[in-house]
Amino acid sequence: MARQLAMVIDATKCIDCKACVAACKVANKVPEDQWRNWIKHENEVPRVGAAGGGKARFQPGACMHCDNPTCVAACPTGATYKDAENGEVVINEGLCIGCGNCIPACPYGARFRNAEKRKADKCNYCPERRAHGLEPACVDTCPTKARVFGDINDPQSEAGRLYLANKDRLKRVAALTDTKPNMYYLGDLGPEAWGGEAVVPASMVAMKQSAPLIKGIVALSGLGVLAMLGRQLLAGSDHKEDGDA
Amino acid sequence: MPKLMHKRHDASDIFIHWFNAACWLLLLLTGVGLIQNPAIDPFGSGYPAALRSLVGGGTNLLVIHEAIGVLWILGFVFYLAVNFKGARFFLAEVFTVSPGRDLPWMFKKMVLMTLGPKALKTMGQDPNLPEQGYYNMGQKAFAQASIVGGVIIAVTGVVMLLSDRTFGAESTVMIGWAVALHFIAVGVVFAGLLVHIYMAAISPEERPGFRSMFTGVVPDDYAKHHHRLWWDKVRTGGK
Repeated sequence: MARQLAMVIDATKCIDCKACVAACKVANKVPEDQWRNWIKHENEVPRVGAAGGGKARFQPGACMHCDNPTCVAACPTGATYKDAENGEVVINEGLCIGCGNCIPACPYGARFRNAEKRKADKCNYCPERRAHGLEPACVDTCPTKARVFGDINDPQSEAGRLYLANKDRLKRVAALTDTKPNMYYLGDLGPEAWGGEAVVPASMVAMKQSAPLIKGIVALSGLGVLAMLGRQLLAGSDHKEDGDA
Repeated sequence: MPKLMHKRHDASDIFIHWFNAACWLLLLLTGVGLIQNPAIDPFGSGYPAALRSLVGGGTNLLVIHEAIGVLWILGFVFYLAVNFKGARFFLAEVFTVSPGRDLPWMFKKMVLMTLGPKALKTMGQDPNLPEQGYYNMGQKAFAQASIVGGVIIAVTGVVMLLSDRTFGAESTVMIGWAVALHFIAVGVVFAGLLVHIYMAAISPEERPGFRSMFTGVVPDDYAKHHHRLWWDKVRTGGK
């Protein structure tokens, strides 16, 4: 089975310390006021000892490297794509011109336009760290080890072991567009249905809808040329050529 | 005795025509390779994948496309600097349409080229074409599409070029539309280009016109037959 890098997160272990958010920002030099990952919590954080107070619920997250990546479908150039080898959703920064189509196409808000690079940006599982045998920054830094990263199709990996042992009770964030995210949660993850709708910008819709029309116009023109060529070859020209003596 | 010839194109006109042709060919080949999305790419994902691996990746392909695009625009800036008068004359000729003469010409020409003169006679139409000026309506229609399309392609191209160099996130709606319009304009101009190439280079009809795109001159009888109104002007010395 092909590799699928993913995160299996034990939400009950998260203490909302935001160390993962800070570590990611530092490791990936994410510009001011922008983040690649987050910790969501219930609107009302319960107070200790208050009447009716429950337990706090925290939900760490980031790009979910979906199996049905709506961001990829919104990209005209293939600058963002689903890597066939390890299931990552990758951004090729050399090909991305920062048109922004993919940003509203993510129902989880995991993408943003990097203010310095002016290109699409999001979690990439820290490839530079992985190349050196390290875990992604957020996973490495997590003091309670709530975030577990690895190939969920590999039963030998920690992520794979967690994934296979808990398959029936793992939860995913629900969105209006089912993108089949590869971020799995153990335990009570709190707000689990905050995902929105994948919105493809009107310009991209126009491009997709005009594509068959353009092919039609080009085909019609090509047919016209073939008709003229056919007539030229079969009937010869009706035209006495001028100036050609 | 040398045949009587009439001047039609300056050296700068000939240069810009072939410079544009070469740029368009390269821009089209590289540009189609930059589209990779099953809902859009004209020939499937095989062509962009092959071209990208040929030039060492999509990043290189984008740089090549951008460089040729900038060169193309600079070529036109150069042309306008050298022969602004010629450009103005061209624009005036191309956008002057007299519907009473030009629309029947267009219709009849299309029937003649595909079905032949008998078809026109069957329709009760005179197979003789209305007289045309410096450009015939077919040339004007393609020139109009090329000029409007070319301006759209150049402007949207510059917007995309600057997208990750100067524009902020607030400009993404404009950039998204630049991508879409670039694609649509190229498609429409390309459809016209097929007919242009056939008429100019393959059909025997316009052979002297094709030659004039190298020599700059056309024979008197060709001018008389194809561009009668222009021929009249040239003969009387009026402009």
